[in-house]
Amino acid sequence: MSVAGLQVTHLSKRFGKKVAVQDVSFSVQPNEFFCLLGPSGCGKTTILRMIGGLLMPDTGRVALNGRDITFDPPEKRDINIVFQNYALFPHMTVYDNIAFGPRRQGWPEDRIRREVGRLLDIAHLAGYERKYPRQLSGGEQQRVALLRALITRPQVLLLDEPLGALDLKIRQQLQLELINIQDAFHITFIYVTHDQSEALAMGDRIAVMNQGRILQIGDPRTIYEAPVNRFVAYFIGNTNLFEGTVQEVVGAQARVAVPEVGDVWGVCPHGAQALRPGLAVTLSIRPEKIHISRHEPRQEGWNRVAGVVQDIIYLGVSTEYIVRLGQGPTVRVFTQNLRPNGDHAEAITWDDPVWVAWRPAHALILPD
Amino acid sequence: MTVAASSPQPEAPRRRAQWRYWLGQYAGLLANLTPPLLYLLAFFYAPMSILLVMSFWKSGYMTLRPGFTLENYITFFTTPVYLKALSNTFFIATGTMLALIVVAYPIAFYLARMRPRYERLILYLLIIPVEINFLIRIFAWKIALGRSGIINSALMAAGLIREPLGFLLYSKFAVGLVLMHEWLPYVVIPVYLALKGIPPEIIAAARSLGASRWDVFWHIVLPLSVPGLFASFVLVYIPMLGEFAVPALVGGPSGYMLGNVIENQFLSAGNWGLGSAIGFILLTVTLALVALVVKVAGVEKLL
Ligand SMILES: Nc1ncnc2c1ncn2[C@@H]1O[C@H](COP(=O)(O)OP(=O)(O)O)[C@@H](O)[C@H]1O
Ligand SMILES: [Mg+2]
Repeated sequence: MSVAGLQVTHLSKRFGKKVAVQDVSFSVQPNEFFCLLGPSGCGKTTILRMIGGLLMPDTGRVALNGRDITFDPPEKRDINIVFQNYALFPHMTVYDNIAFGPRRQGWPEDRIRREVGRLLDIAHLAGYERKYPRQLSGGEQQRVALLRALITRPQVLLLDEPLGALDLKIRQQLQLELINIQDAFHITFIYVTHDQSEALAMGDRIAVMNQGRILQIGDPRTIYEAPVNRFVAYFIGNTNLFEGTVQEVVGAQARVAVPEVGDVWGVCPHGAQALRPGLAVTLSIRPEKIHISRHEPRQEGWNRVAGVVQDIIYLGVSTEYIVRLGQGPTVRVFTQNLRPNGDHAEAITWDDPVWVAWRPAHALILPD
Repeated sequence: MTVAASSPQPEAPRRRAQWRYWLGQYAGLLANLTPPLLYLLAFFYAPMSILLVMSFWKSGYMTLRPGFTLENYITFFTTPVYLKALSNTFFIATGTMLALIVVAYPIAFYLARMRPRYERLILYLLIIPVEINFLIRIFAWKIALGRSGIINSALMAAGLIREPLGFLLYSKFAVGLVLMHEWLPYVVIPVYLALKGIPPEIIAAARSLGASRWDVFWHIVLPLSVPGLFASFVLVYIPMLGEFAVPALVGGPSGYMLGNVIENQFLSAGNWGLGSAIGFILLTVTLALVALVVKVAGVEKLL
């Protein structure tokens, strides 16, 4: 058994009656970019604080390269933290902020000066040595916070929503810079975010959390294409959810009766063994997997349902159609805007009768 | 603009327009500042100016002759008992201030980390004694500190001392102790507020970067509490330099301060010129000291 990297086993933490983290286990490989993703208040920060040694768990263990560090104080762990609000030392210059870690480790001052200068160059902050944090923009402050945490080359860097306070453009730019830095420094990143698109874009693997538990760990593609349950499907990206009852199971596929829509063929991403006729399930169908057309589609074996266009939302890169199926629920459909003027090939418009269709493989049958 | 264009002599109306513009801009500010300014002028700057002028007048017992002489200042600097009062004043105020910081800092520190419920309770406990009447407090201290007071009796009964301790009352020690009692909350609260304002993430970041608890205190917490320490310094040290009631009541012959000398010149010796001069010497030294502390502590950088 390999013990390199960080292992978290059966970690739990309560605050009074409130269970913040419940039996969380995962391991992170060296140099991996690992995302903890979940809605606000699901326990992400609490897990990070326990890994960083800022909070003692009620039960469970944290181990780094096979060594149990659960009860080591934070300064004894080769783990640094970057916070959402930067947490720069307001009374110190940029230079002194970045030099804080090296000084604690007793680096000679000329080595610190060389290394700080080099890092500031990399981060496009050359000449910022003598500025104070309050003189910097949010993006600049977060870069300084990152350099401060990186300069001593810890084995693991914990990042708690580090880009959460920045606006979109700067966030996207810093996302790229973070990935490059992680590559260049060979440091394990544990990156906390509540933004699923950020997690999909950055993570090698993602742990999806809700209410103190980890629901699924996997690479972005698996998390998106094969969610283990309704919450993961709903939380990652956009999706259409329908409640239904299993009618029959044929091999890997099953027929599900959805009220007001009819029978839908779907697959269970994690095996059809658990499916029985009569079982209540949720169907998840991603909007971009659904085809929309004025004419009845002829693809063999696809699910097809007639409906009426209720709304059209132009989104630049794509167009979203909201289609009412009979008297029943609505379904969202995304189409890419490929034509020069951006509209759909068939120029579908409001109140048009249309057909929507999708493969059985794209109708995911999920337990609740 | 239109006024200026239609006028044969553009200058005067233009200026009037500017004046009105200015008035419009600052009328609110002016209206708000005028009462305090008038108040300060009437009750602070005017009397101060009179005293400053008087300090250069020739004066003796109940006499005061206008003129310009440095006699009062020379008298002060050549009379040992006045110089002794000056050194007493700074010794007592500085010692008490340092002792206050040593006592108040831990209180503020634990207060800032306490659960809100207990936090408020302790704040009340701290503030209530200040509300007790000054004289009652003084006499309570006299009962506690006197030769046959509670402390001496207890120590003698316990066999720890055979003679009552004389320095407890009518001494610099007594003045310092009573002043500490009076001013403690004014040191605790500003420091507590400064400590309370330190975001916990800053401490966490420092710890994760390899700082021990002691490093965190020395490099983060202490520097960030300097504005609070400075506020309590201004709030407490300066009034203590001018103190006269406490030394008069518990200071005895060795614990007298400049405030007693000034009071004496005005109320008993009838030498207003000398009293004014000593007042201005105290003021000058105080301001110089504040300037020095601002410079050394680097307070502007943090405010
Ligand atoms: N120090 C604390 N005292 C009491 N409750 C806390 C404390 N820290 C976190 N919690 C609670 O634990 C839960 C998880 O919090 P947190 O880990 O901060 O969530 P996240 O970072 O995912 O938003 C929340 O319900 C929060 O209110
Ligand atoms: Mg959080």
